[in-house]
Amino acid sequence: MSDINARPSEQERLNARLEQANRQLLQSEKLAAIGQLAAGVAHEINNPVGYVYSNLQSLGTYLEDLFRLTDAVGGGASLDDLSAIKKNIDYSFLKDDLKDLLAESREGIERVKTIISAMKDFSYIEDEEFKPADLHRGIETTLNVVNNELKYKATVVREFGDLPEVECISSQINQVVMNLLVNAAHAIDDFGEIIIRTRCHCNWAIVEVEDNGKGIAEENLHRIFEPFFTTKPVGKGTGLGLSLSFNIVQKHNGNITAEQASSGKGTCFRISLPVKQPEASADNEQG
Amino acid sequence: MIKIQLVDDEPNILNALKRLLRPHGWEIHAFDNVEAALGGLMEHNYAVIISDYQMPTVDGVTYLQFAKQRQPNAMRLVLSAYGDRNSMIKAINQAEVYRYLSKPWDDYEVVAAIQSAIDIYQLKSENQRLLDEVHAQRQMIRAREQELLRLEKDNPGITRVQRDVDGSVLIGDQ
Repeated sequence: MSDINARPSEQERLNARLEQANRQLLQSEKLAAIGQLAAGVAHEINNPVGYVYSNLQSLGTYLEDLFRLTDAVGGGASLDDLSAIKKNIDYSFLKDDLKDLLAESREGIERVKTIISAMKDFSYIEDEEFKPADLHRGIETTLNVVNNELKYKATVVREFGDLPEVECISSQINQVVMNLLVNAAHAIDDFGEIIIRTRCHCNWAIVEVEDNGKGIAEENLHRIFEPFFTTKPVGKGTGLGLSLSFNIVQKHNGNITAEQASSGKGTCFRISLPVKQPEASADNEQG
Repeated sequence: MIKIQLVDDEPNILNALKRLLRPHGWEIHAFDNVEAALGGLMEHNYAVIISDYQMPTVDGVTYLQFAKQRQPNAMRLVLSAYGDRNSMIKAINQAEVYRYLSKPWDDYEVVAAIQSAIDIYQLKSENQRLLDEVHAQRQMIRAREQELLRLEKDNPGITRVQRDVDGSVLIGDQ
């Protein structure tokens, strides 16, 4: 008996180590996923930076032209001279184009800002705490991060229902959604459609990611949540994405399933999460 | 008039490039999708075609390959935010691009690349024009030679003019 009583501390220690190893695995899978996205994100950032940078150089030449005009005004040039300069620098074009130049550049910077803050939200290592979160917001953040992976592969259709705030670790749920979205894009050969559906059903929040890609072979369907199982070419997948997604969803007392899409082509992944975590709601009742 | 075609799925990139190229007096045709750009190839002869790499439906290299078939003289450039090795190799080997430029770009770099592409295009066009001229002239010379041969055959000696020591033309038999 004393032997058995002595064990728990050892077991607890091992459990804690296992838990920590799991956490590390989760984090490194997330970073690996981000690493794989990095090339795409660079493209996504280089485009707006490209035109904003060029616009700034054009703005410089525009300003030189305008200063020629204002200097002439300051220098007391005659009206004829002024209108000659105005014509020479194509004043009316400058005036119109300046507005466009600034609006477009602002849009570009805002796009970069959105991507950076999405990346930050996404890679944020938070304490593993269940908090009520807006799943739609998380989905949008995730879409921003993977946009480049998706936009050349599929149109993304949002069929969002009404969802209450769901008690979850939002960064982990984002990771699951990212996995599903990237998988969906990889499943599509040329150009397809990815549908993201959300709805609430009897205190369960349901998120579906459906693609019309090549689908998952029947014999693989029961293996996809196994660690290191992948059909992707080397370098494209770690084989851990879905297995970790499975762990995450399980930790949320929810479940994740895959089936053939209702259209008959492609795959539909469904995540079901309880709106309130069982223990947490018990705590609330006590408090 | 030098015509330049720009292809990029991002309209803001096209606008920035148009601003940059405006002072140079080239005719700029900007397309934000490949299908419309293909239409442009049917209607205009371009000196320079600049394409983005990653675009929906068709990538820039595939487009430039097609452009190469339609307008082999046009100089092809890629302007890409996606500078991986594979895309560059494809661009060089398959589309035979003249330059591979990356986003973000320096304005002078783009202008200099276009300018030297135009120089080469003009050199090629000039070369082609001179070649055509040589051909035309050869044709003319050949026609004349044939006429002379015919005359000589009908009237032997008619194509040869005989002169005496003073330079006077001698007519008739000596």
